[in-house]
Amino acid sequence: MTATRRSLLLTFVLLATVATAAYAQVPSPPAAEFPYTGNRTAVWIVAQLHILFAAFILGAPIFVVISEWLGYRKQDPRYDRLAKEVTKVTVILYSMTALTGGLFIFVLLATYPQFTTWLINHFFLIFAVIYPLLFIAETIVLYLYFYTWDAWKGEMKGRHIALGVLLNIIGTVTLFVIDGPTSFMNTPAKAAEGLSLVEYIQTASLWDKVYNYSWMPLNLHRLVGNVTFGGFIAGLIAAYMYMGAKNEEERAYYDWMGFVGNLIGVGALLFLPFMGYLLSFELCDYDASICPYMMADQLSMFFEMQGAMVGLIFLASNYYIWLSMKRIEGVERVRMTAVTLVVMVALPFIMTYVWTIFPVPDPRSLAVLVPLTLAPWIIGQGMPPIGRITVSSRTVIKVGFLMVVVGNAIWMTPHGFVATQALATEHLELPSDWSFLALMPAKNSAAFTLIFVTVVNYILYNRAIRQGTIVWGKIDFAAQFVLIFLAFSAIWTMGLMGAVRSLVRKYFHTYNLMPDFTAESFTPTLSYAGWWITGITLIFYMVVSFAIVVTLRASEAKAPERAGDPVPAGAK
Amino acid sequence: MGDQRSFVKHVIKKGIIGIVVGIFLVGLARALDFPPVFQVMFFTYAMLGTAVFILLDAPSLQPMGGMKALVALLGFYVVLSGVYIGGASFWPQYDPEDEKGKIEKLLKAKRAATEQGKAEELLTRTKALAEKADAIMQRLQSVGGVAMASVPVGADSKRPSGTLPAATGDLVALGKEQWELQECYNCHKLSGQGGKKRGPEMDNIGSLMQPEELRQKILDPRSWMAEGFEKEYDKKKMPDKYKELMEDKEIDALVAYLSTLKNPSVNTPKPIKKK
Repeated sequence: MTATRRSLLLTFVLLATVATAAYAQVPSPPAAEFPYTGNRTAVWIVAQLHILFAAFILGAPIFVVISEWLGYRKQDPRYDRLAKEVTKVTVILYSMTALTGGLFIFVLLATYPQFTTWLINHFFLIFAVIYPLLFIAETIVLYLYFYTWDAWKGEMKGRHIALGVLLNIIGTVTLFVIDGPTSFMNTPAKAAEGLSLVEYIQTASLWDKVYNYSWMPLNLHRLVGNVTFGGFIAGLIAAYMYMGAKNEEERAYYDWMGFVGNLIGVGALLFLPFMGYLLSFELCDYDASICPYMMADQLSMFFEMQGAMVGLIFLASNYYIWLSMKRIEGVERVRMTAVTLVVMVALPFIMTYVWTIFPVPDPRSLAVLVPLTLAPWIIGQGMPPIGRITVSSRTVIKVGFLMVVVGNAIWMTPHGFVATQALATEHLELPSDWSFLALMPAKNSAAFTLIFVTVVNYILYNRAIRQGTIVWGKIDFAAQFVLIFLAFSAIWTMGLMGAVRSLVRKYFHTYNLMPDFTAESFTPTLSYAGWWITGITLIFYMVVSFAIVVTLRASEAKAPERAGDPVPAGAK
Repeated sequence: MGDQRSFVKHVIKKGIIGIVVGIFLVGLARALDFPPVFQVMFFTYAMLGTAVFILLDAPSLQPMGGMKALVALLGFYVVLSGVYIGGASFWPQYDPEDEKGKIEKLLKAKRAATEQGKAEELLTRTKALAEKADAIMQRLQSVGGVAMASVPVGADSKRPSGTLPAATGDLVALGKEQWELQECYNCHKLSGQGGKKRGPEMDNIGSLMQPEELRQKILDPRSWMAEGFEKEYDKKKMPDKYKELMEDKEIDALVAYLSTLKNPSVNTPKPIKKK
């Protein structure tokens, strides 16, 4: 054997030894890989489904207990029946929440084991003790609340309502607790002076981690969002039941329930833009680079889609009021001061100007905003003859619709028709003189206009039912499709904004702290997100539809046995 | 029948009004120098308004039940799904490929520092070594007892493509890359491009700050403030995260790049020392 051959052989042996040793040091097997969807999308689907179910079971009891209380106070059995029927659906969906929650943890552990373990370790007390205890407590109270409905009536109704309040307290605390780790992933606690974020997090207390920048805004946003969502789902239940109603009495009841569901949904929806604004304000305050990422860069078109969805929801909810008013006898007598029309038309333009000079949260803007929005009532009541000029309710609502379209147009006008500012050219951007249309003052004004118009429409509706006669059960059948549309759109928008909240973390599992090294940490296209959000919405819809059919249609089929219909106390 | 006829008339009337309003908006937008894409958008809004006003006076929908209602319901869901997917696909789409390369570069150092990263690196090296061993074996078998001049060097001289810029030592080019990767352009305008509301223009920063001062500002945004940006300074607009996110050599590169920016024709605000 020549020296060259010996040296080559020796080299080979050495290389083989090193290679074997290296292979032996390879860590535990890699994470599971989901076929077709990939790991991130698999987690996305399960997490979003879980959040949708959870949103309903946390949101619905809030208005269920209010409805039960109203039924008790007004001695109107319809409120009590609404509360009980929504609770029946809630009980079924509660088990779906638990199922998807368990699935979520399994999928998360299988696909992102290192990160999941890391997160659980940071919030061990929450995940291992507090959250399970709250969940158990909520389960017990929910079932107790449901199964004591018929037993605790009459004199014991107050006790039952108190149980409902307790259920809501536990539910809200559960929401706030689980929002701790969720918001931490977006805005982990800021490091103390002189420490790096990694060092600080190692020593930070549980409260330091929970009480982060976006925790309370997320709590408020979800709380209001859950009520909105629950209201629209109640509307969906009513629409299904109205479509399947066999007699006038049932149709009258489910017509009424649809109206109440929509009222709850819209009532809470009015606050939602402000809660969303507060959340994004805090996110931007935490790290200013999040703002351009959301509004001007990769996620900018997600917000365009959000604008389109919110606009459609406001259009649909006002259309529902329009259809509701059409079945009120004597509605033509209802009139309103013309000042309302003037304010309605001027509002987006004046407020854009005011909020440009005094940006939110500068309180000086309120000096204009408050008198302007109250002008119809102040001038209309106390300043004749201007206030005495009135217009018909039909005119007010039609001008309102025009302004909803204008508001939608302002909300949806982008700075540029580009998915990222890097691709912007003057042929795709607003002219510089008009760039204010894409800024926050204009968007806030648009949101405020939508809210103002909706409030005016409800005031008109309220006057109409006081001056005229409402004929329940005679609503235009198209209204049922509007209720279904509202529920579908609300779920879709929740899915969209859920995706945005997760994507805001960019290529991190926990922003700036725990990077996502997988190949899937990029921002997906809006189109891709649209497909999955629609898929998730349809799955959720199927389950909810099944729950409604199983709980309400089935019990309706057994009507003769329904001897113990809920009757509020005092309703002899 | 009469209802239907009057509704058709109503649709035609509202449709004509909508088109006239749409054309007026397009003309107005053109006169105000809005690009064509915005003119189309305004026309679309006019059509949306038309659809809304047509719907308001549409005749009542007749009640339906049973199978007919179910089919209508399913059809409605199909239309809704199609409209929402179509709507989401209609907007301009961000190309994830643009981001993938950036993320890989940004996380490369962090990944290498993790246990998994170390293992992956070891694995990569091992595979290269195994390939090299195979090549040597094949060479041994083919040459028999004949001495070889040299082992092919192509395989082992290859480095991961990401390390090439570092090997060239082009610090300024690396710094420019960091400017892009850290998305400094979102807040600072440079060469007429990028945002300018949140942070000052940077074209002449190299004349106003020494490299060490630039480094101090990146690592501790509270250390310096740009004149005229008091509000942004008070609101802590510049994120205090780069000391965590960037490696020392990346900060060196960014500082080297910023130091080359000496364009006196641009009025970069004067830096004021705060710490």
